[in-house]
Amino acid sequence: MLAGAAALPLFLAGCKGLQALGTPPRPAPDVGLLKGAIAAEELMVARYQAALRGAQVVPEVTLSALLLEHQQHLGQLRARLIAGSPQAAGAASAAASPGGSAASRSPAPGPSIPAEPGQLASYLAGEEQAASDYLLRELLAAPPALAQLLASISASEATHVPVLQVAAGHR
Amino acid sequence: MTGSPSRQAVRALQAALAAEEAASYGYGVIGAHLTGSALADATADWVAHQRARDVLQLSLQARGAAPVPAAVAYQLPHPVGTAAEASSLAVILEERVARAYLGLVALTDQSLRQLGALQVRAAALRGAAWRGRTVAFPGLPPSALARRS
Repeated sequence: MLAGAAALPLFLAGCKGLQALGTPPRPAPDVGLLKGAIAAEELMVARYQAALRGAQVVPEVTLSALLLEHQQHLGQLRARLIAGSPQAAGAASAAASPGGSAASRSPAPGPSIPAEPGQLASYLAGEEQAASDYLLRELLAAPPALAQLLASISASEATHVPVLQVAAGHR
Repeated sequence: MTGSPSRQAVRALQAALAAEEAASYGYGVIGAHLTGSALADATADWVAHQRARDVLQLSLQARGAAPVPAAVAYQLPHPVGTAAEASSLAVILEERVARAYLGLVALTDQSLRQLGALQVRAAALRGAAWRGRTVAFPGLPPSALARRS
């Protein structure tokens, strides 16, 4: 272990040092886009987790099913970041605010959600619509395969809206 | 995807058109096995597919391409003799439509990409209504999803 550590500077010197590598390449534009999408998805997951902890309004099975889909979205988005890079999963939580919608704000550790059941379902429906619209805008600048994934996730989140509206008694 | 951007666009538009034509035909079969509000829903969805078909035809013509005409009849994925089978067919048709529109989303043309994304959403909404539940990745085949370690 120690020998290995002592040998490291020599090894680096032999390789002309890290300077020879030059400045790290800038992340591709779609990395920022992906981080924004991950941040938005993390926030949706956090909202559902908070809702499941506190609320009795919306049937738990409904919330659990929708949460599971958000977790699947998050998994697919995170899988498209290179593991170990500064842009990897987790770093997305600190992503800059990607847009003006409520769903695009940087995620907070514990989002505050309405306690009253009907209000909670309405609130989640609004956030789902905002998240869906956000992805619909963002995908226009994405490379083709990522654009397709974002379109599918946006569509999935749009389908959550009527489910929550029914739970809120609005339909 | 190979070919010039305009050829790619025409190919994707023709694929979406084919899916819409098949859906329009399929909803004719679906409607024959439904009554009441389900029939009204099927009729509304059939109209939506007809309108989407018209948009695609116009878009193809604007690019100097002739829209491929609808077939006289389409092979259904399964027999339809009950309301449940009719709903099942609607789910399959909407998934196919969503998948076809994802071809437009892969294009660089911004207006076609937006049209594709909006139609994926519309198909997902109709599909979820017929299925009675939502899915995580409407239109995306499992092969398009990254395997997670």
